[in-house]
Amino acid sequence: MDVSDEMLMAYADGEADDATRTLIEAAMRDNPEIRRRVAGHRALRQAVQGAFAEVLDEPVPQRLVAAARGAPAGNVVDLARARAGGGKGLRRWQPAAMAASLMLGLALGYLGWRSSNPLVTSNGELMAGAGLADALSTQLSSDRTPGRVAITGLSFRAKSGDYCRTFSLTGTHSSSGLACREGGNWKIKLLAQSPQTPPGASTFRPAASADSPAVRAAVEESIDGEPLDQAGEIAARRENWSAPASR
Amino acid sequence: MSTNASAENIQEQIVVLLPRLRRFARNLVRSPHDADDMVQIAVERALLRLDQWHRDARLDSWLFKILRNAWIDEVRSRGRRAKIFLPEEAGEQVGEAAIDREVERLSVQSALARLPEDQRLAVSLVLVEGLAYKDAADVLEVPIGTLTSRLARGREALQAMLRLPEGDH
Repeated sequence: MDVSDEMLMAYADGEADDATRTLIEAAMRDNPEIRRRVAGHRALRQAVQGAFAEVLDEPVPQRLVAAARGAPAGNVVDLARARAGGGKGLRRWQPAAMAASLMLGLALGYLGWRSSNPLVTSNGELMAGAGLADALSTQLSSDRTPGRVAITGLSFRAKSGDYCRTFSLTGTHSSSGLACREGGNWKIKLLAQSPQTPPGASTFRPAASADSPAVRAAVEESIDGEPLDQAGEIAARRENWSAPASR
Repeated sequence: MSTNASAENIQEQIVVLLPRLRRFARNLVRSPHDADDMVQIAVERALLRLDQWHRDARLDSWLFKILRNAWIDEVRSRGRRAKIFLPEEAGEQVGEAAIDREVERLSVQSALARLPEDQRLAVSLVLVEGLAYKDAADVLEVPIGTLTSRLARGREALQAMLRLPEGDH
């Protein structure tokens, strides 16, 4: 008798019809090989079932709850619009964006120096202040707990070998940026105004962590390989984000 | 939606489904933040189209379908250039350095990420989200035979990557 692997798979998934089920159960009684294959399907089913299970335990970002409850659309990020600038014209306007970002960065650095210190300057270089540095060093990108100094977005290894992370400052500074871990400090490589900060968006935080096109461009420029997944972030955090020995 | 009350009721059901929508989205885009953006877009679209949802259909399948379509639109609009924000597609595009890194034992999650997209979504809907074959086929808008063959190929690839003990129990 011929029992196909798809039949065995459907049986293991509880999807086989009565006739097929009877057939397979008879085959399993007679044939250890069939038994083994069904057990293999079940073992895989069990192993895969738990993938991403940790996502279910994460707190759901407030912006998603608000969206599900029909919050006014002006408050929420429009991904397509936010990225419209990231299309073909990117290379052309990137230097201007960088320059503008730098100006903004200097201004914010000055502000930061005077107030809550998200950014500080040291020897003429812009660094993350204590609060932001702490967020960059400890937060995973999946962490969306409210009340943070900053939201971390994407983490990756740069071509230089250093770890870099994108971030968005919360609160009054609605800007996003890119920081890289160099010499035990988080150096600010780029800071840009976050896209789409709609007026009157005070009821809940806009998705400020939507990286600006300038930040995305900087990521694309410097990334080596793929962004880190959560396991990668945890591993990097364990090493305090110090660059691993070159491969 | 017939009355405001029922619309609100559906909204709360959507809130309850958010964790699963977020989980499914992680199979579409690698960055958790981008995945949440996709969920947000899908939820906003769903609310605009509540009248298209039939009460006898599963709300979760309907939302998964909207999420998947939102993702397809997004991928199309970004083009291939932004590939770094998407999961690596398949073994064929993995460079040698990446393979070296993967030589260490693959977790289920990273094995899933290496499946071709068609297979990854079939596996995710059936094995992770627990949808019936017919519901998963409906989400992916393919005939059930296509769904089962993608699922079978995906499982075979996962078996090979994970080298699970072939259970004698």
